[in-house]
Amino acid sequence: MDHLVLEVGTALVLVAIAALLAGKFNFSIIPFLIILGMLVGPHAPKFAVIDLRFIESEEIISFLGRIGVLFLLFYLGLEFSIKKLIKSGRSIFTGGTIYILINFGLGLLYAWIMGFPLLEILIIAGIITISSSAIVAKVLVDLRRTGNKETELILGIIMFEDIFLAVYLSVVSGLVLGNAASLMGALTSILIALGYMLLFFIVARKATPILNRLLDISSNEIFIIVVFASLFFIAGFSETIHVAEAIGALLLGLVFSETEHSDRIEQLVVPFRDFFGAIFFFSFGLSIDPFTLGGAIWLTLGAVILTILGNFIAGMIAGRRAGLSHKASTNIGLTIVSRGEFSIIMANLGIAGGLMPVLKPFSALYVLILAILGPLLTRESKNIYKFLDKTFKWSQKTSKVRDPASG
Amino acid sequence: MKIREIELPGIGQKFEVITRNNEKVVIVIHDDGRREIYHFDTDHEESVSSVTFNDSESRQIAAILGGMVYKPQALETIEMAFEGLAIEWFKVEPGATSIGKTIGEIDVRSNYNVTVIAILKRNMRKQLSPGPESVIEAGDTVVISGERQQLKKLIKEILTNERGD
Repeated sequence: MDHLVLEVGTALVLVAIAALLAGKFNFSIIPFLIILGMLVGPHAPKFAVIDLRFIESEEIISFLGRIGVLFLLFYLGLEFSIKKLIKSGRSIFTGGTIYILINFGLGLLYAWIMGFPLLEILIIAGIITISSSAIVAKVLVDLRRTGNKETELILGIIMFEDIFLAVYLSVVSGLVLGNAASLMGALTSILIALGYMLLFFIVARKATPILNRLLDISSNEIFIIVVFASLFFIAGFSETIHVAEAIGALLLGLVFSETEHSDRIEQLVVPFRDFFGAIFFFSFGLSIDPFTLGGAIWLTLGAVILTILGNFIAGMIAGRRAGLSHKASTNIGLTIVSRGEFSIIMANLGIAGGLMPVLKPFSALYVLILAILGPLLTRESKNIYKFLDKTFKWSQKTSKVRDPASG
Repeated sequence: MKIREIELPGIGQKFEVITRNNEKVVIVIHDDGRREIYHFDTDHEESVSSVTFNDSESRQIAAILGGMVYKPQALETIEMAFEGLAIEWFKVEPGATSIGKTIGEIDVRSNYNVTVIAILKRNMRKQLSPGPESVIEAGDTVVISGERQQLKKLIKEILTNERGD
């Protein structure tokens, strides 16, 4: 008998329960869904008609998750705007650069010291570098910090990271999915990826009027069909020339962001991104055997400590350079430390390219820890500042500068 | 007043306002329609309080702040209303007919059905529940209570300078 719909339905019920729980504890749903996915799977029991092993439906769940990645990156592309970055000013540009240099550098160094081959190093550095935009935005809103001075810089750095991610993913996907055996092969793969990207940039710049006219569809029904058709087709086509389908989705989002219909597409995509994105996190957890986590634990803990330090230092430098107080600068590093969707997408790319399987438990554990610890660090930033202030005596130094007569 | 507008990608739009008294207020308009107002401490570092309004609440408050709902008159007229009963502060205008008369002479209670609760003299001296012998002088602020219609009538007839000189 075919219980496919029931199995998918069971999975969705579990996802819904995990999401409700996450909402109750006021946490991001990402760690909850990954844990849930790991708990069920081939090792889970079967109760009468309810099959928690998800063997039959594994394929379709992972396919729905793949759609989730497409929507996540399509949305990222829609939000992406070079114009916004240029408008945002110097402090964000320097802050973002400092952040990427420190954290990407540390990521590369760490993976290299741990003895990984080149491609794995690139993936691990990517996993470590990119903050979770979703978690950061949620935490800032929840803690009522949207009005704070440093929030502009935090969101600016996040935007900068997203742009870095877009370019980096394209290059790395070319390397991982293409022919990386020889130097020539690797170069060609990178060039194809960059050329493909350039093509989309040109289309975004030059063909906007044509796209505006083509997308000028008053019926919502037809509009959604046209948008989704182009999304799936372009994403699938990209795969054929060794550019990850996710990058295809991202680039298409980028093209659409230039049109006057970008807001309408954004509103339309959000519910799909949320729904399929949730299935993606679940299916990612499902593909992980919790018993393999132990093997990656030390590697992960090292990366977590490195991330917290790297983010804190980068936030401190960026904040101080932008003229913020020590206290506000502390908030920066302790907020951008959360990891989530993009780290998993990065790891997923490595898995799809047949890289070392340790990437999976590593990224899962890494994201689990930082998706939970990150928001906690943000919440406790005041106490952490007080503690650090005792050691470094920042507030005394500042008051001395303000009042030189007393010093 | 200085206003700075900043976009918060993924959240909404932020308006940073520094008033003439050097007070800092930040208004955040979320993409989902929520508005938040933060009030900052004197050195503009940390927010000391904040409020959140939903979309329709913010519109109503905007109307109140914008003076579309209640238009502030002169600063002296502050009204408090309790279902038909109103208390009003009113500064007696120069040249009003009541000046120099006692409350007993005007016979506020039987002519207007209004009670004079207090008279605030110019030198901030207070006369609480003034008797019929109390004299009304120019520049006094009288606190009167009664029906809104009656109050209006009394103010118009004897507390304001009707001739306009």
